[in-house]
Amino acid sequence: MAISADPQNVSEDLRHKAGYTFTFLCDPQAEVIRRLALLHPGGGPDGQDISRPAEFLVDRSGTVRWENFAEDVRVRARADQMLAAARTLP
Amino acid sequence: MADGTQKRSNRALWLGLLLVVLGVLSNGLYFLGVPAPPIPWISLLLPIVGLAFVVAGVWRAFARPAIYRGKVVGSLAAALCTLILAASVAGFVISRRLPAPSAGTPQVGQRVPDFTLPDSEGHPVSLSTLLSGSAGGAPPKAVLLVFYRGYW
Repeated sequence: MAISADPQNVSEDLRHKAGYTFTFLCDPQAEVIRRLALLHPGGGPDGQDISRPAEFLVDRSGTVRWENFAEDVRVRARADQMLAAARTLP
Repeated sequence: MADGTQKRSNRALWLGLLLVVLGVLSNGLYFLGVPAPPIPWISLLLPIVGLAFVVAGVWRAFARPAIYRGKVVGSLAAALCTLILAASVAGFVISRRLPAPSAGTPQVGQRVPDFTLPDSEGHPVSLSTLLSGSAGGAPPKAVLLVFYRGYW
């Protein structure tokens, strides 16, 4: 699931343009982002509060099994690391 | 008078320019999924090393004009490469200006609190519902939450 502080129409636009089939969730007030302490205050291009980049692999019980916090916005997360973590799950 | 001596091509200058250009191009590597650790540093190190070679080349051209070409081209190249290096440093600093992971963020082994958010079509989606597999079919082994900056 992809979560950002983008407004709904922007996320839907992105989802269609890129042809993604996974779920995009919208958190324009950054409530969930704040609850998980991922807020990047003023990090948006016009000073909006956005999420810092982060990925969490969450198992059926809601427990985090793998996570990744980028130190550099240019570096993409490694899908193979996530998949390796997912394969260890029952 | 060194009649028979041909002027040598100022290799340091060209090598330096090549390294700086490679440094600029290395920013494209971010889109190719190359292993993370070397990548941000390459776009900084290449211009630094490149500029060092360019400066060496310019020095040679001025110190030994009978042997090395490149006073004008070299000076222009040095100016350009300095600008490129400044831009690379700025890009580097800005890209890494992120808040440090905080203690409030769930660590491995901790639970993510349940939440409900609207999807991009406006339908509310809750994490617990997704994890229990109520979207039809078996419950998933896991869910990957990808928080991204947005505003693309």
